[in-house]
Amino acid sequence: MPEDPRASLLSRWTRRTSQSPLLVTALALILGLAVGALVIIVTTPAVLDAWRGSFHSWGAPGHAIKVTLDNVGAGYRSMFTGSVVDPPQFWHSLTTGRNWSLSLTPLSETLTYATPLVIASIGVGIAFQTGIFNIGANGQAVAGGIAGATVASMIHLPTFLHLPLTLLAGVVGGMAAGLVPGLLKAYTGAHEVIVTIMFNYVIYAFLIYTLLSTPLQLPGQQNDISRTFDATAQLSPFFGGSSGLRVNWGLFVAIAVVVFAWWFLDRSSLGFDFRVTGANPNAARASGINARVVVVLVFLVSGGLAGLAGIVQASGTTHLITGGFLIGNAGIGFTAITVALLGRNRPMGIVWGSLLFAALGVGGRAMQSATGIPLDLATVIQSVIVLFVATPVLIKEIFRLRGAHTSALQLATKGWGS
Amino acid sequence: MTIAAARTPGPPTVRQHFGRTRVMGLSIGVIGLFIGVVFGLGSRAGSHTSVTWSPVNLSSAVPWHLGTLTVPTRLSCLILGLILVALGAEVVVRRPERGVMARFGVAGIFFLFTLILWTGRTLGPSQVSSINFTAILIGSSGVAMVLVYGSLSGVMCERAGVVNIAIEGQYIGGALVGTVLASTTHSFIIAAIGGAAIGAGLGWILAFLALRYMSDQIIVGVVIVTMMAGLSSYLNLQVLSPYPQYNLGNLAPPLAIPLLSKIPILGPVFFNQSGFFYAMMLLVALVSFGLFKTRWGLRVRAVGEHPKAAASVGINVVRVRYINVVLGGAIAGVGGVAFMAVQGQFQPGYTSGLGYIALAGMIFGRWRPSGAVVASVLFGISVYLAENLQTYQIPVPTEILQMFPFLITIAVVSGLIGRVRPPAADGLPYQRD
Repeated sequence: MPEDPRASLLSRWTRRTSQSPLLVTALALILGLAVGALVIIVTTPAVLDAWRGSFHSWGAPGHAIKVTLDNVGAGYRSMFTGSVVDPPQFWHSLTTGRNWSLSLTPLSETLTYATPLVIASIGVGIAFQTGIFNIGANGQAVAGGIAGATVASMIHLPTFLHLPLTLLAGVVGGMAAGLVPGLLKAYTGAHEVIVTIMFNYVIYAFLIYTLLSTPLQLPGQQNDISRTFDATAQLSPFFGGSSGLRVNWGLFVAIAVVVFAWWFLDRSSLGFDFRVTGANPNAARASGINARVVVVLVFLVSGGLAGLAGIVQASGTTHLITGGFLIGNAGIGFTAITVALLGRNRPMGIVWGSLLFAALGVGGRAMQSATGIPLDLATVIQSVIVLFVATPVLIKEIFRLRGAHTSALQLATKGWGS
Repeated sequence: MTIAAARTPGPPTVRQHFGRTRVMGLSIGVIGLFIGVVFGLGSRAGSHTSVTWSPVNLSSAVPWHLGTLTVPTRLSCLILGLILVALGAEVVVRRPERGVMARFGVAGIFFLFTLILWTGRTLGPSQVSSINFTAILIGSSGVAMVLVYGSLSGVMCERAGVVNIAIEGQYIGGALVGTVLASTTHSFIIAAIGGAAIGAGLGWILAFLALRYMSDQIIVGVVIVTMMAGLSSYLNLQVLSPYPQYNLGNLAPPLAIPLLSKIPILGPVFFNQSGFFYAMMLLVALVSFGLFKTRWGLRVRAVGEHPKAAASVGINVVRVRYINVVLGGAIAGVGGVAFMAVQGQFQPGYTSGLGYIALAGMIFGRWRPSGAVVASVLFGISVYLAENLQTYQIPVPTEILQMFPFLITIAVVSGLIGRVRPPAADGLPYQRD
């Protein structure tokens, strides 16, 4: 948009920033935290009691406000110190040079949480850019976890072979799970959203089956738990197991995936075909791009990355998989959909989005242990953020921003029928 | 799928249709053969299955006592299998225009029934253990009832052209509000109203974001489910655990209909149910009549098929969609309360994907209330059996039963068996000119 040279510097600045997606995300974060605060207020008995008391005496409203701020503040403070940095502890380490592992634990946890999330989100984002809604990332991640766990725990090899082979098995598992909706979409026209939703549940049932009725189950166990991964197939922590910092070599896998995604989308001809198909399917067909092949390939890439995320998650943290592996709506595959949206399907945007959501998730855990406010509040905050990010115009209306022409998210809004 | 259909000229589509019907007939026949060979010939010659028909609670004892029925497993499975083979042959030969999917649903129910027979067989004619068939039907009817509410909600929304993937979230919201209201007021009517309100509220959020701001309906739906899952888990820890008096786990009492409930076998299944069950049946009739026989229904379907044309004859597209999505949300919310009234105490995550099965039921039922009922019965039995057949120690993994609703829906949407066609404008944003 050409800028009016006569406009004052301030108004030009506000216009430019009000068009940036970063501002929308930041405002969505503020709204998310506000909703979270509201949820804390109406569900914490101490706060409610204080407000009830404020009807009886004159000095009480001030007290009630103080109690409210104390409770909400304590929750969010522990969320921050548990996921980013705890300033006093950090200062202590800086001045004395000791307890570094304690000071760095929050960041390490956030990075550990973000690692598989980045990988899965990039997979979902690539599919979005092609106009494909891969809602089955979670199932594909579980499939990758199953395949990877099989290689990691039942084949014994030296590290330099075993670890790559394990990760490769994860990719192949995810690809296999992605191939089914891909082929069905390409050759029968079945809508990928329905197929992937349904296929998620098929894979969850398959996970329980493999963990209860196949040799992958830990011998001598009745529960749904797999054999432990060989040490040669684990993504070990950077700073050794004794440091207590869980951040592991999976981080480099994630970085490699980010670089790959940048190259793939911006530099490779296949990536170009993908983006053209997403931007305008008719133009893509007219220019000779085989739409069916593109659909199948998108699902292979997207599913493969989701599978990689699943095995990185298992191999980097738990070193085994259980029946609860990634199950439920908080599984990384579902968070990945929202993160891809948050990062506008661009690799770097996804990195920042993953870090934000990882910080919220890790902070939620710290908040629960410090103040007793359940960690699921983080899920609620994340959901509210995404609802607002998906509706940028609403945010502009709430905050009365001008420059209504946002880069509206062009997504796979095509309905069941197409 | 519309593109694929548009590319093929007229005559081949007709042939395609007949081809599909044949495939359906063949698959019905294959199911029949499977039943005959695996369940029939697969069981030892002298084995028998004992089936009892007594309802679970003996207070509503029937005036006539039905004894235990012991049938030879091999023979009955063979006969039922042959019936299906004949049904399949009939479809292949006659190629009926209507009711093919319903026949397929019958085949599925036969399959589950013979699976029960085969599971409960004992060697020899002596009666060692027996299968309480009525108990299985009553248990399945509870699941099917909840699924019908969800599928109806989907039908309401999608017939108007809005994809409601948030059924699961509306279930969770309804169950949560329902348990609190039922525990504090001891009235399931108030609980149902509360559940309807929360479901309608979630429906309104979906409609508001999707209709006014053109957000992606699928994303909003997924996020609503995630939000409700998180919120319910949060409230469970923060409110329901410290104050158990809000989560007593009331079960809705059965209201026996005087004479009808004494009918053997079917009486306890259909006429000795909670009010939610009767309300569900009423609602199916109401929605079915409303959608296909009234002015309102015609308008809704017009909006879902071709909103521009509907608008050109003066229908307020956005308003119709708002009303339908809010009503649909309310129905799913009541479904959540009904789920709570069957399952008891609220626990986070206990709907475990039932909302998506309801979505599958709506698709399998071809966006029709009656089809949704058939699909819900089929899926309800399979869900119930997957949860409860473990007690019978069958040699097949129950996980396959768990996959059943999802696999069959994938097969249906991809046209491997039968063909479903969603409303043409389903999920598309509508922009007023």
